[in-house]
This record gives sequence, C-alpha cells and structure tokens, in this order.
Amino acid sequence: MNILESLQAGFRDMASHKGRATITMIGVVLGVASVVAVLALMRGGEEQSLAFWEELGGLRELRITNTRIDRLMMSAAEKASERLTYRDAIAIREECPSVSYVDPEITRWLNVSYGDLTYRMKVLGTTGHYPYADDMPVEEGRFLCDKDVETHANVVAMGPTFKEDLFGEEEAIGKTILIEGVPFRVIGVMERKEFYFEGDGPGNDRNVLEWFNRSHYIPISTMVKRFSITDRLDGLEVAARTVEDVPALTEQVRTVLTRRHGVEDFNIDAKTDRIEQQAEQMVFFNIVFWAIAFVSLFVGGVVIANIMLASITERVREIGVRKAIGGSDRDVFLQFLVEAIVVTVLGGAVGLLLGIGMVGAIDRFLDMPTAVAPSILLVAFLCAVGVGLVFGIFPAIRAARLSPVEALRYE
Amino acid sequence: MLIETRDLTKSYDLGAVQVDALRGVTFGIDEGEYVAIMGPSGSGKSTLMHILGCLDTPTSGRYSLDGSEVSGLKPRELARIRNKKIGFVFQNFNLLPRIDLVSNVALPLVYHGSISRSERFDRSKKLLDSLGLGHRLGHRPNELSGGERQRAAIARALVNEPAILLADEPTGNLDQRTGREIMTILGDLHSGGRTIVIVTHDAGIAEQARRTVHIEDGRVARETVV
Repeated sequence: MNILESLQAGFRDMASHKGRATITMIGVVLGVASVVAVLALMRGGEEQSLAFWEELGGLRELRITNTRIDRLMMSAAEKASERLTYRDAIAIREECPSVSYVDPEITRWLNVSYGDLTYRMKVLGTTGHYPYADDMPVEEGRFLCDKDVETHANVVAMGPTFKEDLFGEEEAIGKTILIEGVPFRVIGVMERKEFYFEGDGPGNDRNVLEWFNRSHYIPISTMVKRFSITDRLDGLEVAARTVEDVPALTEQVRTVLTRRHGVEDFNIDAKTDRIEQQAEQMVFFNIVFWAIAFVSLFVGGVVIANIMLASITERVREIGVRKAIGGSDRDVFLQFLVEAIVVTVLGGAVGLLLGIGMVGAIDRFLDMPTAVAPSILLVAFLCAVGVGLVFGIFPAIRAARLSPVEALRYE
Repeated sequence: MLIETRDLTKSYDLGAVQVDALRGVTFGIDEGEYVAIMGPSGSGKSTLMHILGCLDTPTSGRYSLDGSEVSGLKPRELARIRNKKIGFVFQNFNLLPRIDLVSNVALPLVYHGSISRSERFDRSKKLLDSLGLGHRLGHRPNELSGGERQRAAIARALVNEPAILLADEPTGNLDQRTGREIMTILGDLHSGGRTIVIVTHDAGIAEQARRTVHIEDGRVARETVV
C-alpha cells in the first residue's frame, strides 16, 4: 500500500470516526493556537521596544558620560582631568573615522521672557546635530545649523509646549525672546514628539517623550559664551556611520578621550547594548512563555497518543483482518501514523486560524502589543506536525507489532 | 503437492508451563482437493490452520506451500504470501465495519500494490455479482444478513486468485439453511477447480469434503476419504 492510499484511508477513517477525530483535534488546535498567541505576544513586545528605541533616535548612537568619582578618592590624574568638554566633542568629530556626527549638550534652567511673561525653562546648548534632530524635525522654521554654532548666534528653536505657553496661537518665528535678558531670535518650533506604551500599565497614558517638547535649543557656543563658566558638557552623544560601526567607534572614542583626559574617567554606552540588556531581562519571560506553549503542545500530543492507543484497542480485530489478507507490519504502521498526521495537520490548520483570532482579540480587548509573522505560523504548524509524528509513532508501532493470530482472536 | 508438511510442531511458552499445540503433523494436500480438518476444541486444529495460513510460524518442522518452503520466512514475506496465495474465510466474517462491501472485497488488492483503483473495483464487483450481492455494493456490512456477509467474505478471499481457500468454521455463526447455502458455494468453487481446506468440529460439515483429516492431541489421528 503506498502513501497516497494510506492518506486516503486516513481521511476516510477520520470521516467515519468524527467524534474521536474531533477530540483529538481539539488538543492540537488549542496547542497550536496557544503557540501562535505566545509567539505573537513575544514578538509584539520586542517590536514595540525596538520601535521605542528607534523613536528615541536610532541605534547607532553612543552616550558618553562622566564616571562618578568620589572627590576624596580622586587620583592626581583624575583631578587634573577637565572631564567631558565641548572641545572633546570637537576632537571626536575631527579624529574618529567612524563618527557620523557628535551631539554635545549643556543644559541650564534659565529665565525666558516674552512680553510680560517670564518662565524658568530648560535650555539646551547643542549643535545642528542634536541627537534627535533627525527624528524630530521642526514643525515650522528651522533647527540650529553649524553656522549658528560657529558665529555664537543668538538664535533659539523652541519646544512646542513652551511655544504655546509663551505665544499661544501667535506666530513665533522671527520674534525675539529674552533669555536671562539676552535677546534671542526664534528660528524654529519643534514638532511635537509622542510615544505611548500600549496597555493599561501604570503611566501608560503618559507621553513618555514629553520632555522633548519642553526644551529650547540654542547653539552650544552661545551657551558657553553667555551662560556658562566652562564648556563642560552635561551630555555627549556621538553617532556611528552605521549600526555595524558602533563597536569600532566605541574604541576610537575611548582612545581619543583617554589621551585627552589622561585617564579613563568616562563611560561609553551603546544603545544597542541597552537593547541587549533589555533582551536579557526579557529572557525569563520568554522562557515562561515558551514553557506555556510547550506544555500546551505536549498536552495536545498526549491526547493524540492516548486516543490513538484507545483506537488501536478498539481496532485490534481490524488490524488482525488487515494482516490476514496481506497487510504487512509496515502497511499497518503507516496507516496509523498517517492517521495521526492527518489529524494533526488538520488540527494544526484550524489551530492557526484560532490562534490568529486569539491574537486579534488580545490586541483589541487587552490592548497588548502583538505581531503575527508568517514565520510564527510556520513554526507553530511545524510544531503541530512534529507532535503528530512523535506521539503518533508509538501507537503506530504498537499496532504494527500485533500478532495477526492474537489480533484475530481478540474479542 | 500444493501443501506439504513434515513434523510440524508448535509450542507456546506460557511462563511456568509449556503447551504443545502441535506434536508433529505430517500430511499433504494436492491441488484441487477439498479437505476438511476436524477435531475437538483444543486438538490443535486452529493452530494448524494458522500455520497453514501463514498467520503463524511453526516451532519446528517444514511446511512448503505451492512448491516453496515457508517455515523460515520473515513476517513481511509471510504477509505477501497471505496476500497472494491464501484466501481466508472466518467464522465471524471479519469484514471491516466502516467501509462498504466493495471496498471490503477490494482490500486485498490494495495491499497487492500494483492494481489500479478502477480494476480493483471491477474485479470486486464481478465477484460480488457472481455471489448474488451485486445490489449490495455500497452497503456496509452491518446492513447485511449473516449469509450475505459470509458470501462477501468469500468474495474477498477469492479476489486475489489465491492458490488455496482456508475456511475456519465458515458456518459456525449461521443458521442451518444459510450454512447449507455457504457450503453449496464452497462445493461449487471446488467443482470449479479450487483447492479448499475447511476447519470444523462439525461432522456434518466435514462430510461435504472429499477427504477428512482428524487431528487429536496435536497429531494426525486418522484420515477418511469419501
């Protein structure tokens, strides 16, 4: 008997044992559906956090910070170091081949006035390459440019929240505001930046990027000249040309800064590292998710094995007859294995549909991030077929090994 | 000779005790013969029939069927011999309950391997027609009477053109009239040249055969020829 005949016989047999086939399939259906749901949830979480980092300004950036050192414990070299300065930023830009741009930053809380309104606001001295400028274009006007930095220009790009506070609906571009009494021309208003985490978790109704909207940006050179005694930086980010250049740039920056400071009194954090750290924190959850999916499939498999064994007992005489009229052990083995596979493949297909439905429901009613990819469906389906094979083989072997004489005698 | 056995023995090892079902059976059957194997229950006649039908293998002794030795064959080769050379008729019919009559009859052809679906159907239909079941092709076995079921079982036994027809108490589950009907069919098949071996404990049935081999206590006790 060839495979095709076995397949047809498998379908026929299933059609004539609808109850049994249904129960068996339910196990597989639920198993596959839960695998789909679990994988879609995992993937949805990953995609969301990736989307967050990308919204935050790409993955090719390094954040360089001063190491915290106890003043009492400082070595002579550490005392001599000026820590991170605007000059360091320029040196990195000039000397590191893998650098795309540098984003030094000096932050001050300053009094900003327009007309008779005065607010104390966060002002960032930076360059035309403010880290997030690529991802946060101006709503109107323009952002800072290299020329502003070179000429210590008194220009300001305003965050949208404070623009509204000061000007309301009024046009801001071209107007002059006072920062600590110094007149600055408004050259641009930033676009509003928003990101909300899905779900009902604490604080998820907050725009986690609102702090972007509440800052003003002036050239870093102007900041140093007007409002700061030193050019020490509050923040420094540098971007590699590509994500692949991140490790090379890390080393280049380390070399340049160590030479300039005489000591390694800074930390370099790649955003890719932070994503990796986050992924490590997720490992535990992923293990739990996988365990749930595995247990579901295993239960489905045990159901298959159990029902098939029961059906063999029910069909011992049939096996005897088939052997008596010329069915070999292999024929009987194939017959039962094919039946198990037919059931799991059909169950798997139904399970995929149910899984997709479940994912849709989770997305809609639980408001959790999900993502169904073809690879997920393929994995879940292959799992189902694998379960059918693994748990179908043992009963099939048992059926094949029955002795024809004893099988025929079985009542 | 179609069937030739020499000193066939069969022992079952039931743990503490060893049961000797056959203790040296030597006999032969020629092509075209109609032989009854008779004996009380426990005599070993069923064991002998299982070995003759290649459902079981002897513990020792030789058995040649249709000119070739089969006592040392592997299960897979035995399955092929059962398929090609032997047709079984059982006391309780042993039709598969979930499939229709024509599929039941065609089943040995499925295992045969190289016969097309349409030819399988044609051959099965022709046999069922000749046994008066042409109007029952699409029925399931439980929709038929006992006699009809046994006739279908005979059709199934014949569909592969076997060298020998082995019938184990073929009338045991039938009333007298239907039993006679089945015996008539077997008689007709014999007249048509078939080799038939019938196993029974009923002397009236055995009388229909041309020769009766009496098995007692695992041995051939005597033979009677009509």
